[in-house]
Amino acid sequence: MIKKILIVDDSPISRKMLKSCIPKDGGFEYFEAGDGLEGLETFKEVRPDVTFLDLTMPVMDGVQALDEMKKFDTNSIIIVATADVQVKSLERVMQLGAFHVLKKPPTKDGVQDILRKAADHKGQLNGPC
Amino acid sequence: MVPAEYVITDEEKEILQEIMNIAFGKAAADLAEVINIFVVLSVPYVKVIKAAELPDYIRHEIRDFSHISIVEQNFWGEFKGSALLIFPAGAGKELISLLDDDAEASVESGSIDLLEKETLMEIGNILIGACVGKLTELLGDVVTYSPPRVIVENNPREIIPANLFDQDYSAIVMKTVFRFDERDINGFLFLTTNPESIKWLKESLYGFLAQYE
Repeated sequence: MIKKILIVDDSPISRKMLKSCIPKDGGFEYFEAGDGLEGLETFKEVRPDVTFLDLTMPVMDGVQALDEMKKFDTNSIIIVATADVQVKSLERVMQLGAFHVLKKPPTKDGVQDILRKAADHKGQLNGPC
Repeated sequence: MVPAEYVITDEEKEILQEIMNIAFGKAAADLAEVINIFVVLSVPYVKVIKAAELPDYIRHEIRDFSHISIVEQNFWGEFKGSALLIFPAGAGKELISLLDDDAEASVESGSIDLLEKETLMEIGNILIGACVGKLTELLGDVVTYSPPRVIVENNPREIIPANLFDQDYSAIVMKTVFRFDERDINGFLFLTTNPESIKWLKESLYGFLAQYE
């Protein structure tokens, strides 16, 4: 089950857009960070169920943050939400362990579909109740 | 005093910055599809300045380049303005081999200057077209482009005529710095809009954001 969602993006508008695509009735608890380093620190502190991570950010970029997050918790579900849709970028983040790449701008269908997949994946990780 | 309809608020700047981010990401992916190159992107920057300050602003931004190559392309629709893609001089020569497998033979035949211009024009056309195209698509507009114009090794002081816009008005400058990874080449993309577009732009930005309310 997904309860805590972390959104890491330097653009407040982008965070707002993404959040608006997540079902309002999901009862999620949101955490936000404005760069990769702040995102990494929040990630370690909060241990979110799902993290949405931008790539092009100041201070620490998303690729480095992703690498650090996966080192900290290999089972973490990190969805890269990015405008950088170059094939090499996508391959790189998938190699680093991203769960999925969500291309910007986000859509409600796209976000909700990936959240369902994330919830299924998390259920499998936790095993049968 | 600049009339209120020409003033861009901080929120509008943030929306525009995000749209620019998406647009340049698309442009980089389009370029990577055509040529084998990886474009390292940076956070785009949007600034509103007085039109009279525009030439000095761009000169300051590219101060590290002693000589430059420019691809200039104008566009018009509801969104109207100019795109300037600026590389350090010599970048075109570096990039030739990415577009032309027979580059060495061409260079030996002495047509390097022509090839460099054609390379810059092709890369400029892809980057500017995809970036402006995506930006206007997201904002519900369609633009027409002038053919790209390449100026090689021009002095940076000459790039923008001081009378490009009405001096009393604001210009929106959208800047993206990028790097071609394999070639270690940095460049700038500036989009400048003319004041007639600003009122439309403001409405369109909120129209875009309304989808996410």
